[in-house]
Amino acid sequence: MNLEKVIFGFFVIFACTVNFGFFIGDLGDVGSHDAGHLFAALVVNLIALVLKFGDRTHLGATHLATSMVAMLQLLTASLVWMWHVNISQLAMNEGTMATIVSLSGGALLANLISVILLISETLRQTR
Amino acid sequence: MNDVLFVILRRLRRPLIALIAAYAVSVWGLVLIPGVDEQGNIVHLGFFHALYFISYTATTIGFGEIPYTFTDPQRAWTVVCVYLCVVAWAYTLGSIFHLSQDQTLRDALARRRFARRVSARQDPFVLIVGYGQSGITLARMLDRMGQHMVLVEIRGERAASIEIEEYQYSPLFLAADGRLPDVLVDAGVTHRKCIAMVALAGDDDTNQSVAICGTVLNPSLRIITRVHTPMAQANLESFRNIEPVNPFQSFANNIRLDMGSPERLRVIEWLSGLPGGACPESLNLPKGHWVVFGSGSFPEYFVAAFHDAGMTCTLAELDSSQQGGGMVLQYKAMTRETVLAEIGKAVGIVVCTDSDALNLATVNRVRLINPGIYVVIRQAHAANASLIDASMANLRFIQANVVSHKVRQRLTSPLLIRFLKHLDEDSGELARQTAALLEQHAGDKVPFMWVFDCFASYVGLREALAPEVDPPLTIGDLLINPEKPPERIPAVPLLLLRNRQEIALPAEDTRLLSGDRILFAGQRGGKELQRRFLLEPSPLTYVRTGVEPPRSWVFRRFLSRDG
Repeated sequence: MNLEKVIFGFFVIFACTVNFGFFIGDLGDVGSHDAGHLFAALVVNLIALVLKFGDRTHLGATHLATSMVAMLQLLTASLVWMWHVNISQLAMNEGTMATIVSLSGGALLANLISVILLISETLRQTR
Repeated sequence: MNDVLFVILRRLRRPLIALIAAYAVSVWGLVLIPGVDEQGNIVHLGFFHALYFISYTATTIGFGEIPYTFTDPQRAWTVVCVYLCVVAWAYTLGSIFHLSQDQTLRDALARRRFARRVSARQDPFVLIVGYGQSGITLARMLDRMGQHMVLVEIRGERAASIEIEEYQYSPLFLAADGRLPDVLVDAGVTHRKCIAMVALAGDDDTNQSVAICGTVLNPSLRIITRVHTPMAQANLESFRNIEPVNPFQSFANNIRLDMGSPERLRVIEWLSGLPGGACPESLNLPKGHWVVFGSGSFPEYFVAAFHDAGMTCTLAELDSSQQGGGMVLQYKAMTRETVLAEIGKAVGIVVCTDSDALNLATVNRVRLINPGIYVVIRQAHAANASLIDASMANLRFIQANVVSHKVRQRLTSPLLIRFLKHLDEDSGELARQTAALLEQHAGDKVPFMWVFDCFASYVGLREALAPEVDPPLTIGDLLINPEKPPERIPAVPLLLLRNRQEIALPAEDTRLLSGDRILFAGQRGGKELQRRFLLEPSPLTYVRTGVEPPRSWVFRRFLSRDG
């Protein structure tokens, strides 16, 4: 068992699941999407991104690309949230929440690809 | 760029993750711990506020407690956060600084920067591998001539000294082993603006590998290599584009020429000096018996040269091996008495060991026996100039100077080398004629050299080179100043190259054909004047007929109707 692989797999899958946890629920329903979840998704994705640094293989490059996409989407989602609540000083409404959740949906897709890459890489190992 | 960036990112993975984790934990804690507002209501910090607070706390800026004054549990957590984040930051910064000091990474960065700057070169440049004494002398000389350079030197401190040296056009340099193909590629061996590569590394083996490596990487590149032994020279001569320069042989050859036909040597030196400099005097070596002191391959070249010039010569081979801890003057295969007798009847000596001290000692001993003797001494190290000055030698061999002189000669123009070969092979009549022509037309300074390409593809020459033109275009036409005919451009045609056939000192009424290349020697500015003939037809018509042809279509029509 390789500890590096465990940690890597853990963070890649964790990034995907936390992202999913935030995404699940009615699109515009303010009550079913928690800020803590989004924050967790952001942090775990960031760690996954850093873990993917420095791998020079083609697969590694694709891994890095998916993580960057996910980060971009999640960052945009949290910036939208911050803008709405802290800068525009409004209560969270259905429209904005729908935007945030759809952005995180995109990140979820990128994370899913990342997981698929991880699985395919594992399956290719013929040891 | 990718490689270096990835190395950095990979090395910084741990500190970055530590930093992210520290921030995440701190922010999360602040969000979870309840606070109170002014009215005493329980409020939780939002993620935005928590991140804002942690951002300035972690970096020890400290703007205070927002948006409401903290409760004690919040303050307790803040203490944890401060230590956690400051440690994480210290760790990250430490890693970054450590990485920036890392020699491997710095080398990689320097190499990358060097390769990028070389590949961005727009002007023609010469690549010099080896920045020893010869390399420095050559680089300075080329720099004065306005030639751009790229330098590769294996010793780091030598390479660093390039930066301190004052150059007109600061050369690009890299401290790396020139024998490695990727170093040569980074240094521009395959660059289309690379005119030539010069290999001046420490020993023959290195130079051979550099040269062969270079010619394999870029078979059309001219490569000039310094060699010291006949064997290395023979090895390299089998490659088409490698030109070995042997300083020992060149110097011995000059001595041979000076004894055999001084006027030939004078013309060769005249043509290959630094343009604009004074014309060299001949050496006037005394004729008679010579004694050569030395070891290795250098003295053998002298012996051969003296024999070729018809002199008698004895080789006193010095055994310069270390005996009893010091350099000892001992002769191989000769007794002391024979050597003394040889010195007594000699007119001159050549002292050419690798050690300046030994050379000096030998000269002093010889002078005790034969005070009026002519002394040729080798200066092995540039720093010992004052030591060798003290010997009051009549002639001095400094390898760096001979090498850089020869290399520059070759870099001037390949046609010049061919002409010099003609001079070398000729009996001396050619040299006399050349000297007379140069004195008459180009003055007594060292002339500038250039090649005129007489190709019909140039717009200016197309009409004049047509077969039916009468009178045909001759070399003499090219020598008329297009600004004020019939004044002559101060230049002499030295060599005409036509379909591999070489004509030395072509007559001025020689008819020119398309494809001819002519080597001219003359004063500064001649090349620029002749360039006008290439660009458009009117200067040539003007010097040939004295009539300035109309340039515009309307005037041409007008004139043709008139005539």
